[in-house]
This record gives sequence, C-alpha cells and structure tokens, in this order.
Amino acid sequence: MAPAVSFSSSAFGPIMTAHRGDFTGPAALVARGLTKRYGASLVLNDVGFEVGAKSVVSFVGENGAGKSTLLNILSGIVRPDGGTVEFNGRPYLPAGYGEALSLGLSRVFQEQSLIPNIPVYENLVLGHEHYFDRIRQFVDHRAMIAAAERIVAEAGIDVDVRRRTDAYDFSKRQSIEIARACLAPLLIAGQASPLVLLDEPTSALDRRDEEAFFALVSRLKAFASLIFISHRLTEVLAISDRVYVLKDGELVADRLASDTDEAGLHGLMVGRERDADYYHERRQRVLAPAAPAALSVRGLSSSGEYESITLTVHAGEVVGIGGLLDSGKSALGRGVAGVEAPEAGEIALADGQPVRPKITDLVRKGLGYVPAERLAEGIIPSFSVAWNISVAGGGDVMASRIGIWRNRLETTTADRFVRELAIASGAPRQICSRLSGGNQQKVVLARWLSRNLSILILDNPTRGVDAGAKEEIYGVIRRLTDAGVGILLITDELLELIGLSNRVFIMLRGKIVAEVPAPAENKPAERDLVALMLPQSDSAGVVPAFKPVTESFPLTEKAA
Amino acid sequence: MSSITTSAPATSALAGLKRLADADKSLWLPISVVIALSAFFAVSTDSFATVRNLTAVSGQAGTLLIVCLGATFVVLLGSIDLSIGAIVLLVGAASVVLLNATGIGFAILIFAAALGAILGAVNGLIYVFGRIPSFVVTLGTLSVFTGIALQILDGRAIEYNDFALEAISIGQIVPHLPNIALWSLLAWAAVVAVASRTRFGRYMYIIGGGEAVARTSGVPVKRHKVYAFALSGLLAGVGSILAVARLGAAGPSLGSDLLLNSLAAIVVGGTSLAGGTGGPHRTLLGVLIIAILDNGLNLMGVSQYTQMVVKGAVVVAAVLISQERLKAVIIK
Repeated sequence: MAPAVSFSSSAFGPIMTAHRGDFTGPAALVARGLTKRYGASLVLNDVGFEVGAKSVVSFVGENGAGKSTLLNILSGIVRPDGGTVEFNGRPYLPAGYGEALSLGLSRVFQEQSLIPNIPVYENLVLGHEHYFDRIRQFVDHRAMIAAAERIVAEAGIDVDVRRRTDAYDFSKRQSIEIARACLAPLLIAGQASPLVLLDEPTSALDRRDEEAFFALVSRLKAFASLIFISHRLTEVLAISDRVYVLKDGELVADRLASDTDEAGLHGLMVGRERDADYYHERRQRVLAPAAPAALSVRGLSSSGEYESITLTVHAGEVVGIGGLLDSGKSALGRGVAGVEAPEAGEIALADGQPVRPKITDLVRKGLGYVPAERLAEGIIPSFSVAWNISVAGGGDVMASRIGIWRNRLETTTADRFVRELAIASGAPRQICSRLSGGNQQKVVLARWLSRNLSILILDNPTRGVDAGAKEEIYGVIRRLTDAGVGILLITDELLELIGLSNRVFIMLRGKIVAEVPAPAENKPAERDLVALMLPQSDSAGVVPAFKPVTESFPLTEKAA
Repeated sequence: MSSITTSAPATSALAGLKRLADADKSLWLPISVVIALSAFFAVSTDSFATVRNLTAVSGQAGTLLIVCLGATFVVLLGSIDLSIGAIVLLVGAASVVLLNATGIGFAILIFAAALGAILGAVNGLIYVFGRIPSFVVTLGTLSVFTGIALQILDGRAIEYNDFALEAISIGQIVPHLPNIALWSLLAWAAVVAVASRTRFGRYMYIIGGGEAVARTSGVPVKRHKVYAFALSGLLAGVGSILAVARLGAAGPSLGSDLLLNSLAAIVVGGTSLAGGTGGPHRTLLGVLIIAILDNGLNLMGVSQYTQMVVKGAVVVAAVLISQERLKAVIIK
C-alpha cells in the first residue's frame, strides 16, 4: 500500500511541465495496485495508471478484461480488494456513486441510466438536486430548468428540457446522458476540474451524433479529464492522449495514442494475432451441400426488436450473428428459442415441421438456449451444480412419466459432466455461487449437453469467462458440431464470431443486412464485418441529435 | 447426546433427529426452539406436560399443519397466499350448508377438497395471467371469500347434523392422538415426499430460486404456479372440513387465526419468503413452535392481546434470522 502522497497542491497549477509530449499538466487521478476478485476469479490484478489533468485516457481490452470493473471502482460502485487511488492529490475511495459525484467524478453508464418518465431537466440535474433546495424541502424547479438549459446549450443538443425523457429516441437519450455526465459537475456543482468516465458512450449513437460527441469531448478537454472505454479502436486513437490495454484483469500495455495504431492495439488486446487454433478452426466442419437443416426460421418478426428474419442452421454448422448492441440479435435469440414468443413467422427444427415458438415445447424437441446474462438467467447461484444441470430435464429425462424425479440419474449425470468438462467444483453438490464465471458457464452448457440436442442457441457464451475456460467452451462447441448439432451463435466478440462460425449474418436495427461465408481457409476480416454493422450516415430516416457542428472532428487521423 | 436418564426409544428418536439435522445444518435452530419451548412450559406450568394437554395441542395443531403444507409451496415459489384462512371459512360454511341440505355424509370431504382447489386455482390464475402480485390478489380474494362465507352463514355459526362426521377429527385410531393430527401427519409425509421426490416439488424450488433460469430452461413456469395455488387451496379445503368436524360447526371466526399463524409457522420453520429455500419438512417444526407457543402462553394465563404481540414479534424475528443466514452464504 503506497502512502497517499500529494503530487501538487492544485490540479491546475503549472507545477509540472508537460511530459512525454501530450500531457498538459500533472496527473488528476493516480491509481496504484488496484485489485478485485469475485470468488475464485481475479478480475483486476494490480492495476496502476495515471490520468493527466485535461487529458483523455482510454482503456481497451476484450470483454471480461476488467474495464467495467475498473470504472465501477472509480465511481464507488465496487470496492477494490486492494490498491489506492488519488484524485486531485487527495486519497480517493468513494463509498458510493453519490459520493463520487460530490467529489467531482461523473459517468455515462453502459446501459442507459436515465429515468424515462420524468422531464429531461430532472434527469440532467439528477444527483445534484441539493443545489436547488429551498428551505431544505422545496425544490426550485425554475432554477433546475435554467441549469438544464445551460447544459443542453453548451452540449449543442436540440432538446426541450421540459419534455418527458422517453419522448426522445435512444440515440438522443444517449446524447442527453453524455451531456449530463460531462457538464453537470461543472455547470451545477461548480467543480473546476471534473473527471468524466465514458463507458462505451458511442455504441448507441449514429455516425453524425458521434461527430458531435467528439466535438464535445474536444471542448471538454479544456477543463476536464476523461476516461474513455470503447471497442472501436479508431475512435479510441482519435480522441485519446494515452491508451492503456487490459487483458484478463491485468494491465499489459501503456501507450501514447500518437505512438501506436489500430493493429498494434489489437495485438496487445488479444495477446496474439487472430489465432486459428484457439477457435479450433481446423475442426470446423465442411458441410455437404445437402446437409439437413437443424433449424429453419422464416419471416420471424417482433415489433421494435427484429423484422422478417429468415435463416437456416444446418446440422453440424455454426451460424454466427453479429451486430451492434441495439441490432436486435439477442432479442432474436430469445425469439428463436421461444423465451419471448415472436409476433410473426415460423420456426421449424430438424423434422421440418413448424413448431409453436414456446421454449417448453422447443426444449423437448431438441433445442437448447444459453442466455447472455449468466447470473440472472443462466444459473441459480444458491443451488447445487447437480440441480442446475438437471433443470432442463424435468420435462422428459429427469422425471418419470408420472412425475417422479430421478435423483440417482441426476447425480450420475452431474458427476459425468463435472468430470468431462472439468468443472472445478469436484462435487455435484457444490453450490454454484462458489464457482468462477467460466465454471458456471460450463454448468449451463452441461445442462444442454446432458440432453439429446439438435440445435443449440448461444448468446455470448464466453462473456465474463477467463481465457482458459473460453478455449474449453470453444472445444465443446466443436464437439457438438461433430455430433451433428447445429449452433446459432450470437456474440459481441468479433474474433469469436469469425473464428467459430461457418457463416455469419450481420444484423442492423433488427434486420439482417448481410450474409458472409466464413470457411476455415478464408475467414472474413474484422474490419469488413464492422463496416457492415455500422449504420451508414447517409441512410434515410436518421435525424441528427446534435446541431450540426461547423468543424467536424477528424475521425480517421489523429489531432495534431 | 448420551444422557443417563434417557430411555432407549428416546435416544433412537434423538439419533434420527440428528441425522436429519446433519443433512441440513440450519434445521438445528427450529428443532432447538421446539425443545426449549417445551422444556420451558413443562417447568413453568403444571398442566403442559400432560397427556391430556398434549392431545389437545395436537388436535389444535392438526388444522394448522394441513393448511400450511400447501401454502409452503406457494411461499417456496416466492409468492404468498393470504387467503387460506378465508378459503377455510368459505369451504367450511359451504360444506356445512351442503351437508345439512343433502346429507351426503363423508362425500363432503371430496366436495371440500374440490371447492378449495377451485378457489386456490382462481387465486393462481389471476396471479399468473393478470400479472398481479400474489400479495394483492390474495388480499382481494381474502375479502371476497370471507364476504361470501359470511353471507352463507348469515353471521351465525351453523352446526352440522351428521354426527358420524365427528369421528374423522376427534376419533383416535392411535390412542391419545386425535385423528385430525394423524391425517395431518400423513399429509405432511406425503407432501414432503412430493417436495423432494417429484418434478412438481423440484420445480417449486427452481421457480422460487430463479424464475428466469426456469423459463429459459423450458420449465412450464405459469402452469406450475397455478398448480401450487390450487394445491394450497385444496389442502386448505381438507383442513377446513377437518376443523369443522372437530368443532361441530362452522362459525364466522373459523380460520380467522390462520392468516398470521400459517405464515408464522412457514417462516419460523425456515422457508424463506424470498423463495427457493426451505420446504414442507420444515413447516412441521414451525407449526409445532406456533402451537406450543399458543398453548403454553394460554396455560400461563397470558392475555390474548399479549399473545398477539409475542407471535408477531416471533414472525419478524424469524425473518430477520433467516436473512442473516442468507447474507452469511453470500459473503462466503
């Protein structure tokens, strides 16, 4: 534990001159030795970094590398198990987001955190209401509205702060949220040097909104420090001064944005170039043209989620679905699995007969579904491994016709999969909450492997799973395809999408926009798939959320 | 556990208890409360530890146990059934009137069970398909069922005129054990087997422990929720006819103490209101605690009002303790 040493008395004082070229002042935030573990898995291991005053620092890394945990620690939502943080020269360990906010830190969350049914201005001053109190209990709405109007004017967003928040679309709400995080500390709380955390702020923005966002960031840099997280490396390089690379909870690189490029960053993130063997590409099956269908979907629609989806997954084939977070690919997975029944369209399994899209029926006909949210929908953490594995067998395998539960079969099945998948619990009676994310995910897979599957739908099967377990899960997927099971793979991880799939569908705003073949010997490039996922700025019906900016921020080349 | 004064059957009973409690360590708490309460009342009153009194206690506890068994499944789901007292009242009133009008004799048992199951299913169907919290649904039906029952009774107690019926409750096939207690113990054994050995029982735990997991695994969640409420109603109906047979009449106050007592017994036994943990095997212990507490306080001459205070406090304390235990698991 390092003692809290004050670097400078004021974050603005020109005590230290710019060092390493890009930095304009002393560090606003210094973190040392940050460590966090959840049960058996170490999500952050001895991470230390600096954020220079009035600079933009980015963290990049694969899903599960620890980026969000890091931001959670800085915003007081998660307590580190070890390490120190100094903010503007003072020891900094907020007990909650409220305290972090009062100390001058604010954050744009990955999921929208605006309250939909209140006026925009109330959202904009959320967490700062006490500045508008009159005689403690009464709120000065007029002052709130005035402050909110200053924020939107400064951010250049065209919204009426008196309207209800849910009157605006997703992209505009995201702009409101960014404006709040960036400007509320300065304009309401009067903090001279705020720190703004941006967690994937642009994933929901249209391209033109993005440009306005970057213009806002460059204006903000005049007085604030920013920490930025994004999967889009071009963006990261365009707006950052410094880039830290996280991998499996460890800081593996610290680069000046001017010293590196996209390919370099990518190599650091994954620790390797796209490694064919990691995804067992040699085991990818070459399908006969007449391979039987394991799943065929025709004209599947659910309003607001996905529209007229038609696709076929053949026996032994991995079909990947990629797209942005709001592309509707997860909702499609839920629809195909019958978790949330689609409004229109037809689903047929191996026998080609249309089936009622209800998961209770589909499961008995040989469908399996691994949801994205493991702890909420995948496993029951307080139940044993054996109980979690046998959940899906109640309709047929695990119970007799009159409904007697087969306790002995349950134990032998669990025993078998604990051994076969090397689930590190050792015993079927182990409680699942004590397992690491990777082992928990193996339990979910065992649930379906224990059944006679013909099609398995996977939604982000390796999210929050360590690298070793990931590779094992990929091995399981190949084993399933060897046995003739069709796999529908929905994932946010590009490399996984490319590495595992025989074919890739790209979804954009609920529609399939492209089908890309991905044979083992000729895999598509990430760049090409990403280009397909992004909305084109000239596409019809896109209303810019920001007022047009006069000078567009350079997206492709770095600021001088 | 070896004591010089205990006789052979007592030690074997203790050994059996120990086996049970070793399987689930948290069972020790309600077991020791039962033992402590019994010891306390045996010492502080002359009449508690008499065969006559214990026979009376088992008779009183019989209705409570049988009514709690189905409700335990509802709590296991993470829901709540506030209406079982009202189902007992309505089934009791309707049964007595039907019995007196038709003289169908023991067939009234089937009527009572069926009516109870229907009332329970009504609760379940409104809860599941109306997507209304079970708390609200059963609070509403509590009032509806009570109102209908009081209209049938016209505010009076109605005696039944088929005296043979009495035997099903106060007869003693086993000496000193009223039949109502015998039936409820048999029902308990059956329900415990259902909970641990059947698909229905397992689904109760799974839906209560993680409804979203159950749904994405293909468990027919809605159907089983309705089943649980119907079973709760069915057992309340059976409990009602046994209580009526024991009392000789159905009166407006029938089942009025069951609202608090049933929830108290289930929770004190160790079934979590959050759902997913506990089970009917524990409810027997909870029923014993509540019945012994009621009886002992009566014998000590504690006023009804004070008893209400004590019982309410016991329920809150039981929930507090079970939450502490949950936290401990999460921290580990």
